[in-house]
Amino acid sequence: MTTTATTTAAPAEGAKRAPVVSFRQVTKSYGAVRAVADLDLELYPGETVALLGPNGAGKSSTLDLLLGLRTPDAGGVTLFGTTPQRAIEQGRVGAMLQSGGLMEGVKVRELVKLARDLHPRGYPLDEILASAGITDIADRMVDKLSGGQEQRVRFALATAGAGDLIVLDEPTTGMDVSARQAFWGAMRGQARQGRTVLFATHYLEEADEVADRVIVLHRGRVLADGTAAEIKARAGARRIAFDLDEPVDREALGALPSLTSLEISGRTVRIQSRDADATVHALYGLGCYPRNLEVSGLGLEQAFIALTTASDASTTGSTEQEGGAGR
Amino acid sequence: MTTLIKLEIIRALRNKKFMFFSVIYPPVLYLIIAGGADSRPIPGMQLNMGLYFMVSMAAFGAMTAVLLGNSERIAKERENGWVRQLRLTALPGRGYVAAKMAAAATVSLPSILLVLLVAAVVKGVRLEAWQWLAIAAGTWLGSFVFAALGVAIGYLATGDAVRPIAMLCYFGLAFLGGLWMPLTFLPQWAQNVAEWLPTHAYAALGTAVEGGSAPHLKDMAILAGYLLVFAGGAAWLYRKDTRKA
Repeated sequence: MTTTATTTAAPAEGAKRAPVVSFRQVTKSYGAVRAVADLDLELYPGETVALLGPNGAGKSSTLDLLLGLRTPDAGGVTLFGTTPQRAIEQGRVGAMLQSGGLMEGVKVRELVKLARDLHPRGYPLDEILASAGITDIADRMVDKLSGGQEQRVRFALATAGAGDLIVLDEPTTGMDVSARQAFWGAMRGQARQGRTVLFATHYLEEADEVADRVIVLHRGRVLADGTAAEIKARAGARRIAFDLDEPVDREALGALPSLTSLEISGRTVRIQSRDADATVHALYGLGCYPRNLEVSGLGLEQAFIALTTASDASTTGSTEQEGGAGR
Repeated sequence: MTTLIKLEIIRALRNKKFMFFSVIYPPVLYLIIAGGADSRPIPGMQLNMGLYFMVSMAAFGAMTAVLLGNSERIAKERENGWVRQLRLTALPGRGYVAAKMAAAATVSLPSILLVLLVAAVVKGVRLEAWQWLAIAAGTWLGSFVFAALGVAIGYLATGDAVRPIAMLCYFGLAFLGGLWMPLTFLPQWAQNVAEWLPTHAYAALGTAVEGGSAPHLKDMAILAGYLLVFAGGAAWLYRKDTRKA
C-alpha cells in the first residue's frame, strides 16, 4: 500500500465528535458490476466534503446508499447514529439528486413551500427562495425553467428542510459560469451555518474551491481522502518516460524518490512522480543513462489514472495492464 | 402532508384538458347508451335503462378519471424522479397515497354530478332528494377505491406497461362489474365472478338506493376491503420503491 495516496484526514476535533455519516464495509453490486466495494467512510459535523471521481466511480451509488434509496448487499450505513430512513423522517437530511425530478404543473414557490412543509423544521419561505437565488422565478411554472434554474430549485428543495446534512449530486450540471459561482456562494452560506455538506462532482476545481475535504472514489473504493491541496498535488504529478540500454533493475527504479507508479515494458520505463526533478536526478544517480527522456504533466483524468494504477499495483503486484489502459 | 394534498388538488384543477375530457365523457356516453331507451324495466331487474345507466355511467366516468389518470401520472412521476425526491422528505407513504386520491376525487366529483344532472334533465329521471344525495355521495366515495387502485398500478408497472395494464383493469372491471350492460345479460359464471368485483359493488351502491333502500352492507364491506388492499398496497409500494425508474 506504499504507493496509494490514502491519508485519512479526519479533522482533529472531528474525531472526538460522533460522525454524521458512517459507512462500514459497505458493498453494493448490480448484477456482476460492483458499484461500491468494502467502502469505509465517515463524515463529521460541519465538514464540507467533495466526493470526486470519474463517471462510473460509484459516486451516485454511494449517495443512494447514504440516503437509503438503496440497501447495501453487505455492511451498514448510519446517519446521525441511526438508519438513513429514520434520519430522513426526522428531517435531518436535505438532498438534491441528479436523478431527482420536479413536480410538474406547479409554481416554483408552491413546490418549495411543499418541501418546506414536508420537513419537521423548515424556515421562512422567502429566506429559502432568496438563499437559493430563485426569488425572481418564484411565480414561474416548474415546467418552464431552464436547466440551470431547475438546479437552483432543486437546491432550494434540498435546503428547505433546514437539515443538518445536505447531500448534492453533481449540483452544477447545466449551469453556466456565473450561475455556478452564485450556486457555490449559496452553498457556502449553508456550510457557514454549521451544516455538513457532501457533494459529488467530477470537477476538481469545484472540489478545490469549496470543499475542506476531498474523497476520491474509483471503482467503488476510496482512493484518496484528504484536503484539496493534497489531492491537487496528486493531480499535479508528472509523468516520466524513457528507454534504458542496460537491463532494467526493477527494484532500484522502484526505490526512486517521489515515485507514485512504475511501469516497465521491455526496456521502456514509465514513471509517475510527485517531484519529477528529484526523481530524474536520482535516476542519474543510479548510474542509468535514460534515452528519449520525456517529462510531461498529468491532467485530471490522468491523475485519476495515476491513482488507479497505484491502487491496482498495490493489490495485484502488477503494473502492466492498467497503465496500458491509461495511454 | 396537507400541503401536498392541496397542491395535488390545485394541480388537478389546473390540468384543464384532462379535467374537461374526464368531466364531459361520462355524460356523453350516458346519452349514447341510454338516450334512446324507453322506460320499461330491464329484463330481470326493477330498474329501467335510464336509471340503471345513470348510476353505472356515473361510476364508470368516475373510474375513468381516477384510475387512468392516476396510474399514468404516477408512472411518469416515478420516471422523471419526482418520487425519488419526495422519498427524501419526511412524508409517510400514506400521505402520498392520500394526496393522489384527493386529487383524483377532485376530478371525479364534477363528472358524477354532471351525469346525474343530464339524467334528470334529458331522461327525466325523478328521485327523492335523499336518493340523489346518497347516489352522488356513494359514487364519489366509492371512486376512492379505484383511485387507490390507480396509485398501486402506477407503482407496479413501469413505462410502457402502465397503459395496457391500467386499460386491462379498467375495461375488465367495467365489463365484468356490469357497468356497460346489466349483469343479467351475462352468463351465470360471469355473474358469479362479478358479485365479488369492486365495480359491481360500486354500482350496486347506487342501484340499491334507486330501488328505495340503503346500500347493501355486503357491497360496502367489499368496497372497504378493496380500498384497504389497494391503498395499503400503494403505500407499501411507495416506500419500497428502490428501483431507479
